[in-house]
Amino acid sequence: MDHFTQTAWLIPLFPLAAFLLLTALGRSYRKAGVLIGSIGSLAALVMSLLVLFERLGSDAVDYSNSFKWIDFGDVTFRIGFEVTNLNALMLVIVTVVSFLVNVYSAGYMKKDERITVFYGYVALFTFAMLGLVLSDNMLIFYIFWELVGVCSFLLVGFWYAKPAARAAAKKAFIVTRIGDAGLLLGIIVLFWYMPGHALDFSNIHNVFNEGQSGAITMSITTSIALLLFMGVIGKSGQFPLHVWLPDAMEGPTPISALIHAATMVAAGVFLLARTFDIFEASAAAMHTVAYFGGFTAIFAATVAIAQKDIKRILAYSTISQLGYMVMAMGLGSMTGGIFHLFTHAFFKALLFLAAGSVIHAVHTQNIHEMGGLSSKMRVTTWTFAIGTLSLSGIPPFSGFWSKDTILATALDENPFLFAVGLAAAFCTALYMSRLFFIVFTGKSRLPHSVEVKESSKVMTIPLLVLAVISIGAGFVETPWNGWLGRWLTGGAEEAHASGAAIVASIAVGVLGIYIGWLMYGKSSIERGVTSARMPWVANVLEKQYYMNEFYAVAIVKPVRGLGKGLNAIDEYVIGVAVRFIGLAAGAGSRMLNRLNNGQTQTYGLTAMIGLVVIIVAIVGRRFW
Amino acid sequence: MFNIDFNGEFAAFFIFSAIMIIGAVLMVSLQKVVHMVISMAGVFLGLAGMFVLLDAEFVAFVQVLIYAGAVSILMIFGIMMTNHQAVKADPVKPLHETLAAIAALCLFGILFYAIRTTTFPDVQPLQGVEDNTFSIGELLYTGYVVPFELLSVLLTVAFIGAIALAKKGAD
Amino acid sequence: MLPSYLTMAAILFCIGLYGALVKRNAIIVLLSIELMLNAVNLNLVAFSKYGVVPSLTGQVFALFTITVAAAEAAVGVAVLIALFRARGTVNMDEFDEMRR
Repeated sequence: MDHFTQTAWLIPLFPLAAFLLLTALGRSYRKAGVLIGSIGSLAALVMSLLVLFERLGSDAVDYSNSFKWIDFGDVTFRIGFEVTNLNALMLVIVTVVSFLVNVYSAGYMKKDERITVFYGYVALFTFAMLGLVLSDNMLIFYIFWELVGVCSFLLVGFWYAKPAARAAAKKAFIVTRIGDAGLLLGIIVLFWYMPGHALDFSNIHNVFNEGQSGAITMSITTSIALLLFMGVIGKSGQFPLHVWLPDAMEGPTPISALIHAATMVAAGVFLLARTFDIFEASAAAMHTVAYFGGFTAIFAATVAIAQKDIKRILAYSTISQLGYMVMAMGLGSMTGGIFHLFTHAFFKALLFLAAGSVIHAVHTQNIHEMGGLSSKMRVTTWTFAIGTLSLSGIPPFSGFWSKDTILATALDENPFLFAVGLAAAFCTALYMSRLFFIVFTGKSRLPHSVEVKESSKVMTIPLLVLAVISIGAGFVETPWNGWLGRWLTGGAEEAHASGAAIVASIAVGVLGIYIGWLMYGKSSIERGVTSARMPWVANVLEKQYYMNEFYAVAIVKPVRGLGKGLNAIDEYVIGVAVRFIGLAAGAGSRMLNRLNNGQTQTYGLTAMIGLVVIIVAIVGRRFW
Repeated sequence: MFNIDFNGEFAAFFIFSAIMIIGAVLMVSLQKVVHMVISMAGVFLGLAGMFVLLDAEFVAFVQVLIYAGAVSILMIFGIMMTNHQAVKADPVKPLHETLAAIAALCLFGILFYAIRTTTFPDVQPLQGVEDNTFSIGELLYTGYVVPFELLSVLLTVAFIGAIALAKKGAD
Repeated sequence: MLPSYLTMAAILFCIGLYGALVKRNAIIVLLSIELMLNAVNLNLVAFSKYGVVPSLTGQVFALFTITVAAAEAAVGVAVLIALFRARGTVNMDEFDEMRR
């Protein structure tokens, strides 16, 4: 009885239909546009839930179906979909967040002129993301991977009248492309070395499953894994390609919640999970992944402490949490990575949407201009608090359980990364409490003209739904109940449980929040304590470790210089040549035009010369 | 290359060809139109002589009658009917003339090369038949009667057409 | 002897061609074309005597050519006369209707 699983290919088609309909209708049908987009994602959500429940019910086997696309000699490319437990889980994550964001945007984007365009883009993105999740081979996966990138570009630059939004859109696209190039290379190398040039995930699984199978040598496996990981670095904002993600916050806030927190940036982690066998076959690749993830987690968490823009704080937090997931993958715990992806998608979407609600009310993103909002925006405050606690890893909120799974794994596998993870967790708790206390408590620093009101129902209800999920979602995998791990990996992975990890994790979370409360809530510690004593630390953190500046000097300037040089060549060498060709053609045509003087004799002469030339050309071969 | 025995035929050929080439060159280079036509008549006559050399007496006779007689007179009439008294100082087109000369010379070079490099089979030439005119007449009215009749129709059509064309403008 | 006659015909043909391409008076152009036709006749008759299969057929064809050429000359002159009535000139440079 896997009726719904077999029709899973329909799921992406609902948003696609919504996108086509919205594009066809144009901008005038505002209400209808909102309705169409929401219905499209609701239909996808219902289908996804049905598929998920079906797979929960029994020990369902993976189902895949495909049809032939292109034949190249012996090689066949196929288009198809595959439903595994992992895919089913991702489907639900994507559709839940997408649907809630659709509902939320009806309020948030209400006054925007291009709201139907916005809904069209969101529908297109949902389609692409669902297609990516369902794809059964690397080629289709890559196509959808690029498609979500395009949607991200379109939506980051949605308010393209703002120069910052344009620049951010370009940056997001270009920086992720660097990673995508690596991914493409990885797919090509994989294609080259796979037996039978098979690119579908089940074959990849079979080839790499038993560690080193001998079909592909160790060094090739490692290079494939590292190339694929480049794609992950680009898409999931890992160091050093993370710079696009904070800038991408120029897009509308619902987009930040949907694309840049819950789904698209998680696609990298999803890729890791899908091709986990390749990584597992190479210890070197696993270490690289783990250390990159761990470094990104602590790096981004420290930056987040010193930021002023509410969305940037959350963006760096996202980078940091993605680093956690990648680290978990690198430590061999696919369960931990996916579990954290699962919980993070909900509580980070919640935080972004709540932040959007705040921004909607106060019309600024600078946290130092807010303050004391808790009395005026009760729902937003409470839901944001739930998100904060979840992200900080306070039990029983969902973030605690997933973070604890990762930390427990790290404690078993690599104590150093465990320490890094704990430090990052401390920073996380610290910057989240800082954010919460500055924005929601204390005195209002807003100008008196701003009338702060709670957002409308259409915006708060998604917040409440997400808050409920954020509280409850963690119980699918607890130290005493490894259900999710068994379900995802078929029992191949045993749960790591450690009392020490739980205690340490709770301790740093509470400590972080406590210090944050002391500094920003109660003000018993002077706020400027670090910036006064060690101004350079605060400076470096606020400037995000000067990564953007570093890139500007190290990459942008040389490339720009090269571009100028090439432009000069283009202008003075190629341009001149082209102009010369143009002039020559003009002169030639004027000359030829003179031949067309209407006089029979000229025509006769031309024909005659032609005849002579032809004869010479044919006969002349005799002589050479 | 020129393995020619200097017999009577060659001497006659040489004279006729000299007449024809001189006539043709004069036709191209003379200034007055009437002179051109007269030099052309010389070419026609020279050609008739050459036909006699080739044992084609009837064709030679026809050549004299039609070309040297009829066509030349026709051309002179044409000139007289179209020649405006003013001989305009024609604009010179040196490039055009040079190119045409070069092209014609090249073509001649190619033809000459082709003729010289071809080996013609050494067959017994056609001996002069008893009565050339009789034989041709016999051939025309037996094997070639259909083309002959078609030609007569063509001539009639051309005749009527020429009259119609020339007359139309007179109205 | 055959190559000599053929060379002679080639000379006549090329001179005729040159005249047809260069001369401005349309009557002379017609005359040049007659010259080219004569060159062909010379070829035909020469081959009728010295060709691979000597026979009178060549001469018959020469007669046909002469007939057609005569018809052509008559029609040509008639056309030129009509043209002259219409345009007042038989100068080839003036005839550039094909340009339009």
